[in-house]
Amino acid sequence: MNKRAEQVKKINKELNLFNEIDDAPTSGSGKLKDIAVSVKDCICVKDMESRAGSAILEGYKPVFDATVIEKIRKEGAAIIGKTAQDAFGFGSFSVNVGKGMHIPKNPVDKTRSCGGSSGGAAGITKAADFPHIALAESTGGSIVGPASFCGVIGFCPTYGRVSRYGLMDYANSLDKIGPMAKTMEEIALMMEIIAGYDDKDSTSLDEPVPDYTKALNKSIKGLRVGILKNSFGQGVDIQVAEKVADGIQKLEDQGALLQDIKLPITEKYGVACYYLIAMAEASTNLAKYSGLRYGKQEKIDGTFNEYFKNTRAIFNDESKRRIIIGTFVRMAGFRDAYYIKATKVRTKIIDEYKKAFKKVDVLVSPTMPFVAPKFSEIKKLTPMQHYMADIMTVGPNLAGLPHISIPVGNNKENLPVGMLLIADHLKEETLMQVGNKL
Amino acid sequence: MNFTTDVVIGLEVHIELKTNTKLFCGCSRIGSQEPNSRTCEICLGHPGSKPVVNKKAIDFALKLALATKSKIASNLIFSRKSYFYPDLSKNYQISQYELPLAESGQLTLSDGKKINLTRIHLEEDPASLVHPSGIAASNYVLIDYNRSGNPLVELVTKPEMTSPGEARNFMKQLITILEYLEIFDSNECIIKADANVSIKESDYQRVEVKNITGFKEIERALRYEVARQKTAVKENEKIQAETRSWDADSGTSTPLRLKESEEEYGYIIDPDLVQIELTKEWIKSIESEMPELAHEKSKKFSEQGISEEMATIISKDKALAELYEAVSKKVDPELAAKWIRRELPRVLKYAKKKLEDTEIKDHHLIDLLKLIKASKITETVGQKILETLVHTNLDIKEYIKAEKLETVADTNELEIHCKAAIKEAPQAVEDYKAGNEKSLNFIVGLVMRATKGKASPPEVLAVLKKLL
Repeated sequence: MNKRAEQVKKINKELNLFNEIDDAPTSGSGKLKDIAVSVKDCICVKDMESRAGSAILEGYKPVFDATVIEKIRKEGAAIIGKTAQDAFGFGSFSVNVGKGMHIPKNPVDKTRSCGGSSGGAAGITKAADFPHIALAESTGGSIVGPASFCGVIGFCPTYGRVSRYGLMDYANSLDKIGPMAKTMEEIALMMEIIAGYDDKDSTSLDEPVPDYTKALNKSIKGLRVGILKNSFGQGVDIQVAEKVADGIQKLEDQGALLQDIKLPITEKYGVACYYLIAMAEASTNLAKYSGLRYGKQEKIDGTFNEYFKNTRAIFNDESKRRIIIGTFVRMAGFRDAYYIKATKVRTKIIDEYKKAFKKVDVLVSPTMPFVAPKFSEIKKLTPMQHYMADIMTVGPNLAGLPHISIPVGNNKENLPVGMLLIADHLKEETLMQVGNKL
Repeated sequence: MNFTTDVVIGLEVHIELKTNTKLFCGCSRIGSQEPNSRTCEICLGHPGSKPVVNKKAIDFALKLALATKSKIASNLIFSRKSYFYPDLSKNYQISQYELPLAESGQLTLSDGKKINLTRIHLEEDPASLVHPSGIAASNYVLIDYNRSGNPLVELVTKPEMTSPGEARNFMKQLITILEYLEIFDSNECIIKADANVSIKESDYQRVEVKNITGFKEIERALRYEVARQKTAVKENEKIQAETRSWDADSGTSTPLRLKESEEEYGYIIDPDLVQIELTKEWIKSIESEMPELAHEKSKKFSEQGISEEMATIISKDKALAELYEAVSKKVDPELAAKWIRRELPRVLKYAKKKLEDTEIKDHHLIDLLKLIKASKITETVGQKILETLVHTNLDIKEYIKAEKLETVADTNELEIHCKAAIKEAPQAVEDYKAGNEKSLNFIVGLVMRATKGKASPPEVLAVLKKLL
């Protein structure tokens, strides 16, 4: 075991941030030389057990590297391991881990959640006492949410900006890979490496990759900031609202122009629309996990239907819930009322954002309506309350808009608060520019 | 739908396209027979892998859409058809649902009846299941993913065929079109039909028969199904809306499952594949590559003066039709048709070869037929040269000169041969003189043998009659 692996294992022993740790991660040469990179479990790393946080993929070692992994290897990154997550990304607190796996603990307060689903990624980003960048993934808020709870920066690019090839799918029309780090420089560096067209991902965007680092120092004088006023009222922790307001004040101090923006359709229908589409897609994605070619296998017995049923019993409750709901909403008789309608609402939500971006350059709100909750509090939440935690983050995820969570200070209990900034499609540079002023 | 005929048949045909690679990955469509050797993470459905559509397959499907005068969609959209089955690597099949590639086409049977097509769409083939000792006797099944992801076109007809014979005719016409378009090769591509069959006696209760391979099988399978349904009605059994599987070995079908409707597959748009616009320019470029089709060629040929029947038969085979087209420009069309319809297929059949595997080119036939027409060589010599051409490329004129194959036109020389033959066959001469005209043929044969076929039989006959 090398020194880096020892450091990682020591942190992990305390916080359960990893599902798999490389015993001897090594650096090559390139822009990521001497930088440790942790990879969310759902991103395929060749020959390294990759389970997307689920028990059904126990023992599965991908036969290929995801495109982002190929890219970071070329730049000399040392891959230290696979970070913990809600199984397949199904959750906001990383408590829905596969059977036999450990729930990651928040480095700020071990009785609290790291957030989810990229909980392990946010935790190690906070806890690492060595140069480190995390590769995380977001479907409905899984990068910015945990970043906010752990007090680090989480960056989710435009849908299609970073190749999804090798990302184990949650909901393909929503999934994005993005970095988490302590500094904006590291975020910009990682984005320059992983962004860009990939002919292996049909949804990848064939657009040039700008110099993100250069954007960091651009002034924000005259930048138009839209405040999502309704995200500061009912249901939002007062201290969170105050800290985010302080952050907005900082932007105004540096010359940003403020105005209020309302997104009535997104606010009203965003969460429902998101979960309908995400679950419909997820239920088809999870169909392949049947113990036939890879992953955990049950004793072969009975007909194939019985065998599939026995193997698929390994899914945890939240996975089962999403498979059942997702299958229901695309069934004959319900499909038009749920799945098809949700895709139509999604178009309206995108239009609503597009109109807003004619008036402003960025939209601002708290990332999460509260600070990292205690595990004891999470236990009391109903599934519906779980889903409502994503109220601020599902909008930009549905619309495929780039967004970032930046720490804007701590509350009185010293728990971090994150501010969410959303920009128009492919305007990642604007987020770099603003993010660096906070 | 208001049916009136005794039997109503609709077909759903799956056609494997002759592309180099699979529909959504770079694996070879054909090649190694070693099980699971032509596979990758994509066609095995590994987590994280993503499909990328093969543009050639779209081009091919568009050709079929144009050839059947179908209405082509503005966008190509793939959907996930979900069902659990061990041959599906992802437990969903990438197919098309709401908006198929093309709709409302038409295909004409050989008697001129038009069959309307509902849709043409693209989808991936599942893996193949291998039952080591037959479906019934095996207690396990092996899965070979070599076929997984192969490109298929699904073509659906309206229920407008009224007999098993018509269904066979449909399949034949379809295969001719596919081969003309060069998007299918009957030697290496699978073509399979599922048929919906119903009879008047049961008030047209639909039964689906799956897995019928090739056009000969379709007639057989459908005859069986119609007879089965008629017997069932007679014996007061209820015809179930079900799916049955055709087993060519036993010549029977067995129930698979009660019929599911399309909506029960829980289709969603495949979010891994972006919509592809089927632009006017794209369609135009495909149009410019479209060959003249069999029925068009046939019409043209019969207008040029050969019989309709001859024209239909020649145009059915693209290679023969193209050869005929070139040859009939230079020599008498009827002579060309006769040789291309009869002599050439006979020679090819004997050599067990396809035209494209031989040395025979249009200029060969033009030279050969010109010489026959001018009586420079006899038809017998012509046939022999054709047999040689199957495996050896010849300059026909040179060859004839070198082998001294010209028709014996010199009357003196003919007389010498005829006299020798008369001497050789005194019995035949006697018979002839006794009034048996036919016995002369035997003597003609002797002359032909002596001249190695270079003499023209009518001329020999004339000389013999003169001498006797």
